[in-house]
Amino acid sequence: MKKLIAVLLTACMLFTTCGKNKKQNENGNVTITFWHSFVASTIPALEDLISQFEKEHPGIKINAQYVPTGDALIQKLITAIQSKTAPDISWIHSDFLADLVDADAIYEMAHFIEGENGLSQEELSDIYPALMQYASLRKKIYSIPMEATNLALIYNKDLFRKAGYDAERPPQTWDELKTYAIKLSEDYNHDGIYDQIGFFVPVYPSSGPLSGWMTWQWIPYLWQAGGYIVNEDQTEVLYNSKAGVQALTLWKEIYDSLNLSSFTVDYDVAFASQRVAMSMDGPWNLPRFNNIMKNIDWAFAPLPEGPEKRATVVGGEYLVIFKQSPHPDESWTFIRWIIRPDVQARWAMKSGYLPVRQSVKSVPEFTQYLEENPNFKVFVDQMEVAQAQRPLDNFGLQITRHIAEAIEAATLGGMDPQEALNRSAEKSNKLLKSVQKE
Amino acid sequence: MNQQQYINRQHRKNFITGILFLTPTLVIFSMFILFPVLFSFFLSFHKWNMFSSSQSFIGFANYQRLLTDPEFWQVLKQTIMYTLGTVPLNMIIALFLAMMLNKKIKGKKFLRTAFFTPVIISPVAAALIWRWIYDPNFGLLNYATGFFGIPPVNWLNDSRAAMAALIIMGVWKNLGINMVLFSAGLQGIPDTYYEAAEMDGAGRWSKFWNITLPMLTPTTFFIMIMSMISSFQVFDIVYVLTSGGPMGSTKVMVFYMYEYAFKFFEMGYASAVAYIFFAMLAVLTLLQVKYMRTRSGYEGV
Repeated sequence: MKKLIAVLLTACMLFTTCGKNKKQNENGNVTITFWHSFVASTIPALEDLISQFEKEHPGIKINAQYVPTGDALIQKLITAIQSKTAPDISWIHSDFLADLVDADAIYEMAHFIEGENGLSQEELSDIYPALMQYASLRKKIYSIPMEATNLALIYNKDLFRKAGYDAERPPQTWDELKTYAIKLSEDYNHDGIYDQIGFFVPVYPSSGPLSGWMTWQWIPYLWQAGGYIVNEDQTEVLYNSKAGVQALTLWKEIYDSLNLSSFTVDYDVAFASQRVAMSMDGPWNLPRFNNIMKNIDWAFAPLPEGPEKRATVVGGEYLVIFKQSPHPDESWTFIRWIIRPDVQARWAMKSGYLPVRQSVKSVPEFTQYLEENPNFKVFVDQMEVAQAQRPLDNFGLQITRHIAEAIEAATLGGMDPQEALNRSAEKSNKLLKSVQKE
Repeated sequence: MNQQQYINRQHRKNFITGILFLTPTLVIFSMFILFPVLFSFFLSFHKWNMFSSSQSFIGFANYQRLLTDPEFWQVLKQTIMYTLGTVPLNMIIALFLAMMLNKKIKGKKFLRTAFFTPVIISPVAAALIWRWIYDPNFGLLNYATGFFGIPPVNWLNDSRAAMAALIIMGVWKNLGINMVLFSAGLQGIPDTYYEAAEMDGAGRWSKFWNITLPMLTPTTFFIMIMSMISSFQVFDIVYVLTSGGPMGSTKVMVFYMYEYAFKFFEMGYASAVAYIFFAMLAVLTLLQVKYMRTRSGYEGV
């Protein structure tokens, strides 16, 4: 009998801990669970943001929970959706949108935008169009961008001066990028391997964790040459076009002439120890670089102009509301508040991310902040030429991988760029055809 | 109550007690092994991305796609290459070490611990250390081979060298456990055989070939099967050391399966890979058991 009681008690305890997840507490406050992947350096900015929100909305509490980004985030979301423990709001990458929509896990944003507390057409078009493109799938909006990022050139001014270049004039064209890259490379000990390299071409194993990061950095070059990843109706990929070959040839030429396969892949460590003269990076690293590279004279600059145009790629994180959420309207209140111009300005200045709305540039504090932070201004200015790829409705993850395979094959594998791209395109097209058949 | 009834009751009581004792294990076994095994068999005939609540039946399409995917055959070839590279090398070195450590030498205990340590190090930590060892610029390995005038090798970025790098690490990692098993086997050989052989004037090699090796057959056989199975299933060190690169040249079967399941969310396809792979391992093990039985008459394992 005693044992039975013990067993029952344990069972009770287990159930009560499980059932503790009630969202509404006694005094009518609503708690919104918000999953994000902000790293330690951004957490103070996030806490500031949340306390500001809670001050303005006394009835709503935000419970921010950290989840590692990338594979871990999506795997955790799957488990949560299947076990009915999804958060109210989560931070996602646009890559995940198709799977979430297909599973009917998230709200279509029109539900809120057209509602009482909605967004006007003006407000909606104030958000950078490239971001809205990523926030949507099959022409419907499913998420709202929380912040923007893009890719710029980072360079070491000291090394520029040493090589006899004007430190205030980074390379402006592809040809200049190539000549600078070679001239800025040094082989100190004459062993045939460069100890200092002019331009870090980000080549990583296509099956590794940095594969998507590599593709993301290559895409601007494809656009600068006038190319596209996929055609309008998503029946065929276009990255193996002439533009794709030009972009990949540029990378391959620099990669081969600097013998980068023998260079380390930890570019930021190498940059901090003055072994890399130029590379690419995003604004999220600004706070960290300001901290760890005080003894180096470095700066950000726009990406060089391609044969067709200037372009960079936008990134950023997108907020979705789950259908499992008991408080979708309060969740929307939070999202609606985050994209208010003054909130965006405050958030951008504290976190180092870029605002998602164009009108933020006319917020006085922000204008002043831009003047004081020229590196940050480079990114904000670049938003004008920042593009989004056409969101891939199907097999987005696989097609991104195929592009990565082509980059790896042409650089590290020494394959002809056209052949490498064709091989990958063949695989992508096979997948796209399988969708059409269904 | 007659005696028969009493015995029946006693039997039933024993049966219930037995079941009760087994319950925890059975529950855990069914939840974490039996259910996933059966569920993935079910999945291998379906299309499912893990998000949606239902799976759509597609018959043998996953298996068909799998057998016509050139990458699958490439990956299979690489998995076999890894196994052929690690297992014999591992066994030869392990046997050699076991024989050395079976003699009376100084620092025996220290050496035994040193050789066994890699087995208990977390594979992820070990692979990270080996990444530094293999670094083309600052790595220990190139530095060491440099003394012998060997030109630096770009271990992890050269598709020919990467598999060798993986094999070297794989051998190093699992050497200890096989060494211990061989040591146990060696200690089980009675000294009288060696004494008799010495009387007949047998030399060192002759004793090794005619006594040690045949007497070790059960151990060798056990080690061979276990090492082959574990090398076929290698994943963690590949994931950390090379991530399947460069150009997919170190992609092995479990890595390939993992990619489809948890990167592309094609659970059905990944399950089909798992089942084909399972069938291959089962056939391989059966063949080995059969061969060893006819050859040595050994019935164990």
